[in-house]
Formats: sequence, C-alpha cells, structure tokens
Amino acid sequence: MAMTITEKIMAFNSGRDSVVPGQLVWVDVHSVMTMDYLGKQCFKAFESLGSKKLFDKERVICVSDHLVPPPTPEYATMLNEWREIVKSYDLPYFYDLGRQGIAHQLMVEQGHVLPGKISIGTDSHANTYGAVGAVGNAIGVTDAAIAMATGKCWFRVPESVKFHITGTWQPWVMAKDLSLHIMGMMHWNGHLIYKALEYCGPAIEALDIAGRMTLCNMTVDLGAKNGIIAPDAKTATYLNPVQKGNWEMINSDADAKYDAVYEVDVSNVGPTVSKPDKLDDTVPVEQLVGTKFNKAFVGTCTNGRTEDFAIMAKILEGKKIHRDVNMICIPASQQVYLECIQKGYFETLVKAGAAVETSSCGPCAGIHTGVAGDGDIVLSAGNRNMKGRMGSKNAQIYLTSPAVVAASAIKGEITDPRSENW
Amino acid sequence: MAIIRGKAWVAKTYVMSFDMIIQKYWTSPIDPEENSKWVMAGVDEAFNKENGFKNMGYTFIVAGHNFAGGGKSIEHCVTGLIGAGIKAVFATSFARLQFRNAINYGMPFITSKDINLECETGDELAYNNETGEIKNLTNGKIFSSVPVAPFVAEVAASGGLMNFIRAKIADGSIANLH
Repeated sequence: MAMTITEKIMAFNSGRDSVVPGQLVWVDVHSVMTMDYLGKQCFKAFESLGSKKLFDKERVICVSDHLVPPPTPEYATMLNEWREIVKSYDLPYFYDLGRQGIAHQLMVEQGHVLPGKISIGTDSHANTYGAVGAVGNAIGVTDAAIAMATGKCWFRVPESVKFHITGTWQPWVMAKDLSLHIMGMMHWNGHLIYKALEYCGPAIEALDIAGRMTLCNMTVDLGAKNGIIAPDAKTATYLNPVQKGNWEMINSDADAKYDAVYEVDVSNVGPTVSKPDKLDDTVPVEQLVGTKFNKAFVGTCTNGRTEDFAIMAKILEGKKIHRDVNMICIPASQQVYLECIQKGYFETLVKAGAAVETSSCGPCAGIHTGVAGDGDIVLSAGNRNMKGRMGSKNAQIYLTSPAVVAASAIKGEITDPRSENW
Repeated sequence: MAIIRGKAWVAKTYVMSFDMIIQKYWTSPIDPEENSKWVMAGVDEAFNKENGFKNMGYTFIVAGHNFAGGGKSIEHCVTGLIGAGIKAVFATSFARLQFRNAINYGMPFITSKDINLECETGDELAYNNETGEIKNLTNGKIFSSVPVAPFVAEVAASGGLMNFIRAKIADGSIANLH
C-alpha cells in the first residue's frame, strides 16, 4: 500500500506494514527530550508509574535551555533541583550550562534524532527533528513520563499535506522567508491543524540542514502535527559523525495519498516579514522598508545556527549597527558558539556593535537575556510574535530572517537585504 | 448516560494557550488546584487576578477555531481548566498540542461546528456525553458534536492516561500496546 514518509514511520515504528490516516497507533520512540523547567516533573510523573528504570538511559535526553544562566534565585533553585534529579539517574546525555544549547538544536546536532524514527520532546518546537527525516513531536509531561517508562507514545496517524517547492533561491532569501511566506499563504494555525507537512522538491534538496531545521521548526506554528523532509545525501553527511544509532533512507511512495498538495516557486519568494501580534500577517519586506525599530534579535531554535550568523557576518562585515539599535545574538548551542568564534562571525558581529550572549532560548521565551519592555519595537529572527511573547505586552515584534535583521540593523529601519551588494 | 449542566463562558476572539497560562506561571508545578488560580489570566483582563476565572463559576467554555492555539505544549492549560471546574470545552476546532493534553487528562474537548455563533457568555448549557448533543437551555438551540474516538473515551474512563498506563503495567498488558 502506498504511504507517505510520515505514514511509513508511524507504521514501521509500531510493528505494522502499513497504516492509514486516522488510525491510532502506539509507536516505539527513538528518543525522549525534556528540559529544565518541566524535566523534574517528567521524572516525578515517571516515578509515579512505579519504576525507577528508564526504558533506555541513552535515549532520555536532558537539556538546560530555557532558564540558563538563571536570571533569578527562584530559577537558580529550580535548576539545582533539576540537576539533582538528572544526576540521580546517571544519564549519559545531560546538556547543562557549559555544555548547553537549545534542546531542538542539540537533538539534531548531537545525533539524537534519526531518519525514519520518532522522537518526542516537552517543548512545542520538537517539530524541528523532521529536518533529518524523523517524526518530531511535542508532547506534555504525561506523554514524556510514559515514554520514559515504556519507550512508547500514542499517535493518531495524521493526514499528509505536501509542499512541493521548485525554483531557485534568490540571493539573501532564506528558509525563514519561505516559512513565513507559507504562514501567510496558509494562515496561522489554519487548516493545517493535525496534518503532517512534507516539504520536497528541488528547492528543498538545495537547502542545507540548517535551513531544513528552520522550515520544520515552524510547522508547529502552522498548527501541524509534524514537518518532515526526506533524508538524502546531505542528511547522511550531516549525521554521519554524530548519529547515535543506525538508520536507513526512507521516502514517500510516488503514489502516496495527500490531503492537499501545494506548489510554491521559491524564485518568487523574497525576504518576508511577519507584522506584530499575528504570525500569519506576513508581507514582502518591500512593504515595510523604512519602518524604524530599536531592538534586534537573532537566535532561537528557529534561526540561531552557524549558517544564520554566517549570512549576518557577510552583511555586517566592516559595517556598524545603527546607534539607536541594540542587537542581541544568541547561538543555538555551544557548538554553534564555537564555530562562530572559529570562523570569525562573532568577531565581525561584535565589531559591528552586536551583543553576543551564551546559548539559551533567551528572550524568545520572554524569560531573560534581553526581554522586551514597553514601547520596544523588536526586529527578531525568532518564531512567535504574539503580544507579550518577548516580555512586555506593550512591545511590538516583527519576525523575519537573519539576513533582513542584519541589513536593517545598519540603517535602524527595515531594509531589503537585496538592496545592496554586501 | 450523563448530562452535565452549567453556565458557559463564550470566547469572543481567538484563545491562545499563551494567554491561558501566562509566562510567569509556565514554571509552576502541574496541579489543577494551583494552575486554576491564574488560568485564563491573559485571555481577558477581568480574569487577570487570583482565581479570576475560577470564581466566575463556569462549567463550559465555548470557542471558535483553534482553541488553545499559539503553540505551547504545557499541560497547565488543561489542568488549570480542570481545577477551575470546567467540565468540557466546545469549539469549532482545537490546537493539537492542547487537544492531546486534554485527551491525556480525560478532559472533553468537543468539536462542534459553529456553536460559538449561537451561544453567549452566561448561557446555561446541557451536554449529553453519550449522544454528544449540546443544548443551549437559554435560547433553546441544539448542537451536535463530533463523536469521541474509542481510545479517547477509554482514557477518560480510566481517569486519564497515567491511570490507563498504570493499569496496563499492573496487569502486564503494557507490552501489547502497539
């Protein structure tokens, strides 16, 4: 029976030859991720099931990302309690401050998610794992605790929706622009609710893993169950040095059934901006050129990767950030941080006048490291812009790509990165 | 068959999980009593005080499209509603992260087309959890709903997914889940 890649993964990981959308299956999960502010509760819920034995110590991944470094004594205490419980289980993969990163970055970068497998995490952007051909899904503490005990999780097999992306990427146009373009096209949490989004086509094959992560990351913000890109030679090259386990190539059957198929020619997609408060209120950058802002932010599980800072460094090389703009850059992991130092990207950004912070979710979660105050207008490469997302409800957040943030920061107003030959 | 009766709060605009539990309380322990104190605090200024929503004494929430959307996966949204005495949420559609959490807690998130257009805050509703019929006792309108899937009903009957799994562990049938 013809199946999509998501259907195959749901079938093969639940001991079936095939599944159909709507079917309820209990799958074997490859890895379970939890992090600082929910992790202790996951372990407590797990223990309440009556066993202290995890299904596999090497596949329960613990991360400190939302609260590090702790901005308040309460969060510092919470982190200490978190460390105590993780240490009591003697887990081999605990990414704590000093070895930290945003959970979703680490899950992919450190090879904890694999093509054809299912990984879950207690944070909504677990959809990111689809970048390497895994089914990545966000779940609550209950599901995490049950998976930690049994290695299983229930799923309703989703209908699949295909986005076939053709054409050639314009200079300075990034995966984020395509993501926001589709957001505007489909509307925020619109009729993609519960669906598996499959990205494919020549323009997707042309994307590096960083870009694929951006695209899959934001499928949760489209309301989808998961976002997925079939593994290819690039996936294999990326995973080979880090993968924790074996995997095989997997793809949708040519005659698989889709709920809908959308064609997008990326040649027609330019830099795109989402206007404050509503993620699906997106416009081509041209419509906002000249809009002033006072804060700039690049980081997060959406756009905090080496490739994102590389494009910023290219634009900001030898330039100065406008005096009225405060820019914060936060690498998505310690590895990204180190790469950006070694490649000189952070030297360029610091010389241009950007503040570089240690890896965390930062102000994207509105918790620390540069939250927004009343009256702030933030140009961000993050993933959400509802009122209050980055702190004050009286701040405005424009969302866009790292390239638009960098080009705009020089002038202090929204700028089309294609307007100059950087 | 059980008929649940009570007063409804009807959402006028889109309800986001982000506003159901505001950022300050994301890190709270998951506990219906605790989470109910500030549930819905960001949805309406009138609820932005301790027990602000809970003290209104609503039994149902009626909403439009994508109830509890906006992306958060934390269970506090559902446990907060449970603690506040909400027995069911009726909406045109639900965001999947909280729909899942609701299933896991045995909380009825019931899909019913256009119900939000014909109910007002304060209306008295009666929900028949066997037939799925929702009756607005204030204006006499009757709504049907999408039937609850067998698995969802089974989890609810067990008192939530944790109890469902505990029973499977206890009787040794956990390995049969597939």
